[in-house]
Amino acid sequence: MLIGLLIGGGVLLILIIWMISINNRLVSLKNNRESAFADIDVQLKQRYDLIPQLMGAVKGYMDHESSVLTRVTEARSRCMQAGTISEKIAAEANMGAALNGFNIQVEAYPDLKANANFMNLQGEISDIENKLAAVRRFFNSATKEYNNGIEQFPSNMIAGFKGYKTEPMFDLGVEQRQTLDKAPEVKF
Amino acid sequence: MAYIGLQAQIRRNNARSTVILACFPLLILVGVYAFFFFTGGGKEHIEQVNALFIKTIPFVIGGVLLWFIIAYFGNTAMIRMATQAHTLDRKENMRVYNLTENLCMTIGMTMPKLYIIDSSALNAFASGIDQKSYAVTLTSGIIDALDDQELEAVIAHELTHIRNRDVRLLIISIVFVGILSFVVQILFRSLLYGGGRRKDKDNDKLMLVALAIAAVAYLLSILFKFALSRKREYLADAGAVEMTRNTKAMASALRKISGHAEVEEVKSDDVKQMFIEHKSLSGLFATHPPIEKRIAVLEQM
Repeated sequence: MLIGLLIGGGVLLILIIWMISINNRLVSLKNNRESAFADIDVQLKQRYDLIPQLMGAVKGYMDHESSVLTRVTEARSRCMQAGTISEKIAAEANMGAALNGFNIQVEAYPDLKANANFMNLQGEISDIENKLAAVRRFFNSATKEYNNGIEQFPSNMIAGFKGYKTEPMFDLGVEQRQTLDKAPEVKF
Repeated sequence: MAYIGLQAQIRRNNARSTVILACFPLLILVGVYAFFFFTGGGKEHIEQVNALFIKTIPFVIGGVLLWFIIAYFGNTAMIRMATQAHTLDRKENMRVYNLTENLCMTIGMTMPKLYIIDSSALNAFASGIDQKSYAVTLTSGIIDALDDQELEAVIAHELTHIRNRDVRLLIISIVFVGILSFVVQILFRSLLYGGGRRKDKDNDKLMLVALAIAAVAYLLSILFKFALSRKREYLADAGAVEMTRNTKAMASALRKISGHAEVEEVKSDDVKQMFIEHKSLSGLFATHPPIEKRIAVLEQM
């Protein structure tokens, strides 16, 4: 009788420890993902801060290109207003397209390319684009691990209990991919 | 050649490396036991042999551990002196710095320090034993010769070595081989010079047996070390592909490096093993798998 009780107690203890470790693992996966998302914001903010400087540097050179410059500034404010992930992704894709159009127009201004300040800023923004790609990839892999943890058995039971849901990746979605696949218009 | 997927390669190599690494201390213990066996009278006195062996185990292990700790921590200083590398800062080499930083951000890894060796050879290596000392060193030759994607692949290869704790592994195996080499040298020397007082012929026989066993153990440990190195190189190539999502870049970088990797400025052979490519001897004694084979594996991924 006593042995039965002891064994039962031992099994229960092991079960409890096991559930605690699963819970802690899920929490850490969730926090990893959120921290990765915050890292994306860091890069986005750096880009927003550089863009006014970039616009300032081309003043006097590209005064006749108001449409391209306006597009960049508008894209920027749209980015700053974006809240949810889907809004951010859409705003980001738009910003990327606007900067692309801008870069193509710059090709027509050799004076600008001789300007060291401008080339510096362009280099920094281009680096931020690469960094954005890097943190997005990390965010996606953190999301993948989190989703795996949520969906796999037996951790899915604990996840359901805590209300954890499968989360989206930083993905373009079908319509936006089509928009991006279209090359930006070039007006000379 | 049979298809080996990326993740399967990584798993396989890690398993094999653990086995090979476990063989090192085992080798030392077997050597000690063999010594006692042959000098203690063989099978007839097996119980005495066993008893003696068990008594000396803690001393052997203690001695090995002590040596190990000393050599392990002294190693990083040696590497720094041997390569005469200097720090690479962001301003003078923004391209390399950014490539490295971005790769690290992709996998959420702390960025290691960057160093550069002034040499026209095309080579790179990773070093360091902990988060504070991890570093990647590149030659100025490789920075100039490779394009962005290829350089990214090379840096990713070195970062994978750091991620896999390969350098730590390599230093451990170098230390073990060093221990056995030391033992062989001591025994050899006492045999040569200690034979002055030729009163005890048995003593000489003891020395000979010890020397033979130590030599065999030393040879085997060298082979283990090389096998370990080779496996880790394939693993690092695979890891680089995983990081950059680009098989062509790594293969193309290796093609450019092949034949131009000899860094004359560095003399130490121990340090050269850590480079991305090193041609010392071939086959079982090679520290790196042949470059053609590495390219072949990459191209079928």
